[in-house]
Amino acid sequence: MTTLVKVTRYHLLDRLQYVVLPGGITLFSFLVNLTVFKMFPPPDGDSYSGGLVTLYIWLFIPATLTVTKSLPFGFALGLSRRVYYLGTLLLMVGLSTAYALIITALQAIERATGGWGTSLHFFRIPWIFDGAPFQTWLTSFVVLALGFVYGLWFGLVHRRWQVVGLLLFIAAQVVVLLGAAMIVTGAGLWGKVGEFASTLNVYDLTAVLAAVTVVLAVGGFATMRRVTV
Amino acid sequence: MTSTISVTGLTRRYRNQTALDDVSVEIEENTITGLLGRNGAGKSTFMRIVTAQEFAGSGTVRVFGEDPMENDGVLRRTVFVREDQQFPDFKVRHAIRAASWFHPNWDARFADSLLTDFELPRDRAIKRLSRGMRSALSITIGLAARAELTLLDEPYAGLDAVARQLFYDRLLADYTEHPRTILLSTHLVDEVADLLERVVMFDRGRVLLDAAADDVRGGGATISGPVTAVEDFVAGRRVLHRRSIGSRTSVTVSDYLDAADRARAAALHLKLEPLSLQQLLVHTSGGPADLEATA
Amino acid sequence: MDPAEVTVLDEGTPLFTQIAEQVAGDIADGTLAEGDRVPSTNELAAFHRINPATAAKGINMLIDDGVLEKRRGIGMFVTTGARERLLEGRRKQFAEQYLDPMLIEAQRLGIDMGTLISLIRGGTA
Repeated sequence: MTTLVKVTRYHLLDRLQYVVLPGGITLFSFLVNLTVFKMFPPPDGDSYSGGLVTLYIWLFIPATLTVTKSLPFGFALGLSRRVYYLGTLLLMVGLSTAYALIITALQAIERATGGWGTSLHFFRIPWIFDGAPFQTWLTSFVVLALGFVYGLWFGLVHRRWQVVGLLLFIAAQVVVLLGAAMIVTGAGLWGKVGEFASTLNVYDLTAVLAAVTVVLAVGGFATMRRVTV
Repeated sequence: MTSTISVTGLTRRYRNQTALDDVSVEIEENTITGLLGRNGAGKSTFMRIVTAQEFAGSGTVRVFGEDPMENDGVLRRTVFVREDQQFPDFKVRHAIRAASWFHPNWDARFADSLLTDFELPRDRAIKRLSRGMRSALSITIGLAARAELTLLDEPYAGLDAVARQLFYDRLLADYTEHPRTILLSTHLVDEVADLLERVVMFDRGRVLLDAAADDVRGGGATISGPVTAVEDFVAGRRVLHRRSIGSRTSVTVSDYLDAADRARAAALHLKLEPLSLQQLLVHTSGGPADLEATA
Repeated sequence: MDPAEVTVLDEGTPLFTQIAEQVAGDIADGTLAEGDRVPSTNELAAFHRINPATAAKGINMLIDDGVLEKRRGIGMFVTTGARERLLEGRRKQFAEQYLDPMLIEAQRLGIDMGTLISLIRGGTA
């Protein structure tokens, strides 16, 4: 077992955080949706539930808690920050792959059963999760990974700079986004932006999200390098 | 002498406090070294920097000859157990399993026997363990890892005297059979005095004393009796402390008193009490000078 | 700590000296005969709950004094003539350790030499 795999297994010893909670809560959300739609079928046939976002939230949250919960003992056992971080990313890859597969599989079943017999589209979201199974898996994977890495960075920022740092972190992101928006508005480029966006297909979007994920992962590592417990 | 840890000019400052001030120390391999000193003296900071959990301010730190910072080769050969070690949401057996993966010398049978000795329930969540049991778990991991460099930072929080003695016994027995470099920080000096081969004493971030335990143990005594007789006896010796009441006085000296000295004291009807290592260190560090309180 | 151990190892002398003195004492009073095997340093360390290096230092002192000898692979043994050597050393110290204090005390109590000698002859032992 290489060291990185050991770190992944180390995280997974806490099955509650990464498997039971995310999976369980998503399942619960799904069942609630199903029950509600069975009891109160909406008048216009197909209905789309936004409940899948539950899964993404429930990977983001454990990721923020990872550092607080697992790093102190990890240090005691002689893990370097680099090994810990890379091992945690490996965990993310594993979880994202697995959950994305499950989403894809369930989407297929959903399609086959005509929306679980009630035209409920829980696992299918128009335009994003609408196409070939591979695309569903890929986009799911990237979005899950993004959520995880983002949460991980949040947790690291909090560990290193506490609440003040966290607030500054959020503020900085808001500033960056607002700044970008202001530049676009100032240069009157919204029209161009709209045009460009309409030419994007879901694969392009996935690629952009993947790039963002990589940026977040690098940012997280930079924060990790001077973290102490 | 091979140094497992070699520290030169180590300084570490926090915003309003100097935790370590120009510390230079060599820790010899395969010894049990006691890190002694009051709370906040710098022992924990020292251990944290040596294990790369904390960053050095200035100076050099070498463990197994290399810089330990982000050094997997070095860190793999160490285990660091602290008081109030924080664990993930694990059960006892999860922590043991995790520890077994990351330590090449891990001895599962030894870990098992320690869990039994300390009566630790393997299936209980660590969160729900008492403080003493958590310490016992940390100790189990620290010992069963058989790491070449084992650091134990006041590992006995919450352990009663019986459990502490169990810990010392297991530590000594395992060390004898599997020699390694052990750094044990403690303020319960007298309990571990006989286990130590070397003592390094910290005070306000500086190293006050770095000596063989044998050289420090057995040195010093308190002589009590009538003032004239006592003063006569201690003339020319290094006096650490004096206390008088009426015509009686108690004088503490740091000199080593041999058999002849002791015979003479007996002949003069002077009471001679050897200084415990703890008392000697309290005096050396300039702490509260009341011997009775530390006895 | 076991009370027995506290009395044994709580004098104002270095620990390794106490170990040496204990083993030497056993040899001097015949508990350990010449040619007998002496407990190993690890055994001594475990028994007294002290660091093996300290026990080793005490044993090495006795080896240096010729009281013990090391036989490779087997252990440590009492040398021939060790008992006599130890007793002689103690005889030399007898006056300083036992007689001088007695004389000082006798003087303090006003016991003259004649009375002292007849006390010794009569004895209480």
